Amino acid sequence: MDVLGLLGDGFAGALTPANLLWVVVGCLLGTAVGVLPGLGSSMAVALLLPVTFSLDPTAAFIMFAGVYFGGLFGDSTMGILMNTPGQASAIASTFEGHKMALHGRAAQALATAAIGAFVGGMVASALVVFLAPALASFSSSFGPAEFFALALFAFVTTSSVVTDDALKGLGSLCLGLGIAVIGVDGISGAPRFTMGVPELFDGISLVTVTVAILALGEVIHVACLARHMQDGRMVQPQGRPWLSRGELREAAPAWLRGTVIGLPFGVVPAGGSEIPTFLAYGLEKRLDARRKHPQFGRGAIRGLAAPEAAGNSTTGMAMGALLSLGLPVSATAAIMLAAFRQYGLQPGPLLFDRSPDLVWALLASFFIAMVVLLIINLPFAMVWAKLLRIPRAYLYAGIAVFCGLGIYATSGSVFDLLMLLGIGIVGFLMRALDVPLAPLIIGMVLGPLAETSLRDAALSADGDFSVLVAGPIPIVLYSVLAVVLAVTVAGRVRARRATRRELRVDAR
Amino acid sequence: MTHPSNPTSSSAVVGQRLRLRADPGRAAEIAKELTVPALFTAFAVYLVVGIVTMEVPAGTSFPGPAVFPGLVAAALLLLAALLVVRSVRSARRSRAGAVADLPESAPGTAPDAAPEASRAPEASDVPVPQRSVRVDWRSMAWVVLSFAAFALLLDVLGWIVGAGLLFLGVAKGLGAPGWLRPLLIGLTVSSISYIAFDMALDLSLPSGIIGWRF
Repeated sequence: MDVLGLLGDGFAGALTPANLLWVVVGCLLGTAVGVLPGLGSSMAVALLLPVTFSLDPTAAFIMFAGVYFGGLFGDSTMGILMNTPGQASAIASTFEGHKMALHGRAAQALATAAIGAFVGGMVASALVVFLAPALASFSSSFGPAEFFALALFAFVTTSSVVTDDALKGLGSLCLGLGIAVIGVDGISGAPRFTMGVPELFDGISLVTVTVAILALGEVIHVACLARHMQDGRMVQPQGRPWLSRGELREAAPAWLRGTVIGLPFGVVPAGGSEIPTFLAYGLEKRLDARRKHPQFGRGAIRGLAAPEAAGNSTTGMAMGALLSLGLPVSATAAIMLAAFRQYGLQPGPLLFDRSPDLVWALLASFFIAMVVLLIINLPFAMVWAKLLRIPRAYLYAGIAVFCGLGIYATSGSVFDLLMLLGIGIVGFLMRALDVPLAPLIIGMVLGPLAETSLRDAALSADGDFSVLVAGPIPIVLYSVLAVVLAVTVAGRVRARRATRRELRVDAR
Repeated sequence: MTHPSNPTSSSAVVGQRLRLRADPGRAAEIAKELTVPALFTAFAVYLVVGIVTMEVPAGTSFPGPAVFPGLVAAALLLLAALLVVRSVRSARRSRAGAVADLPESAPGTAPDAAPEASRAPEASDVPVPQRSVRVDWRSMAWVVLSFAAFALLLDVLGWIVGAGLLFLGVAKGLGAPGWLRPLLIGLTVSSISYIAFDMALDLSLPSGIIGWRF
């Protein structure tokens, strides 16, 4: 009952006219960037981060919640209509979704995706409300050894388990860790890697790095490479944008199964919602094969409903993990963590005690954002699809202007603008040469936590690193990590053997 | 069940898989393979130089400020070396494969197409179109130079003129036709953002030469 009372207070705080305005603005922006190709919700949050500094924290986070979920509502639109998903979490939805569109059911496909995202997000938000305070009080006993184990877990999974290329993933992570150590060392006070440049004493701001890597790098990438490829033909959605009773009955079990698959992935630091969407898609496909009239391959509504629900339930739970543990499990969550720090707030166990108004208003705004997003997505999906007609040159020129605006408005210095350009070029190179970007962001956000907890643990034990593995929680985390690594390596070896065998068969 | 393209590049367009193709010639091929290791090595060298020249205050006990960056630099150098070894090995293997294929394939076909073509077809349901693209250096120059000019001249030109010109430059880099239309749209965007952010949200943007007239 206590939780419901607190949530009620949260709704009271979130439902003021000004905050409602911000949640609607966030939802509109999030859906827009989700629909547009190549712009993920992480980039939207990064670009908005500098702009929100003049807002009070509650309004800023309510707006971020809208952007965060809005990106997931919009990302499947492009995949369904043009067979090119807006971000990685929409790939699994594209397979059957685009086939539905090709069979003249584009409007129903968009509705299925929107309702799926709504169901997944609502269930996850409800769970977060009840689980997050418990998780926060559990994690309040964590010391440096536990935090180091958690950070290491996040590093290894995001950089090597969920990427194709572990060498490049780990390299990207190390770049992020290295950028994070620039600046005056907090423990000893020694200036590090500043080359005597006073602008570097405070370190390189995370905002500059994220805007450079995710936004400006993307602009350069599109200018030099991506615009030279052909666009898919867009299917024009028409017909009724709602579902018949038969379609609802068909999709409902898939929405629920997808939600259940997505939930546990939100608390595991494994780098976002791609894996659960593929698992949900695979499960539906296997279940479908057993039916009398298999639908997959011809635009199965279940093949679209399940991954959409899974993606959004993972995202919702990821916010819970961020709020209660202070642990970001995806690039977007990492930027949200940076946003909390800009306001002097530290997500984690203490947040629920220190600023309950903010936390509960934010949790309440999740539900409001879901309802607003359903309203602006279900009937108007076709209107959103018109965004795909903006000429690409003007769209990306506008993004470049916005990068400059955000960085100059927060720092007011030419040095930061040039830094933005330099890191943006690095971001372009990484994108062009298939180096994953998320590990860099995660490394930069969690690097200082890992370093200080490593040094605190060793300092308190007189330079003895064995304290890091003393205690039940770190041991459990390290053994889970070892199991995950073993499974991944075994899977890779098996896949490589299979391709070699096929090559040999082909060669014959 | 994972998709062939990199699942963590959070904002990359993943539907069409782009394969960056180097310019013809071995030198360009080698340059492309070495870019990532060179990037890692350069950053590691920066870290090592910083560690060597670091002034650690006296009385700092063992895990000092240099330990963690040292680990990172060592890891970067190791990863760069492993990447170089891997690309050398795969280049050697593909050349050996191309030589082995030569008697069967028609003379004169490009040998560098062999390793890609013989790879097993994608297991996913939807065929992912692959297109290889060369880096468009002209576009790159438009975008990068416009942004550099914007950064250096912003205080002189002011937000409205500077951002309008940045818009024009990036739009030209992305192949926008004409000059007047992108310039007008750019000036509209910069003026609206000036009104919205400087006047309504109290962020400080430079007024520059427009400011002198008022």
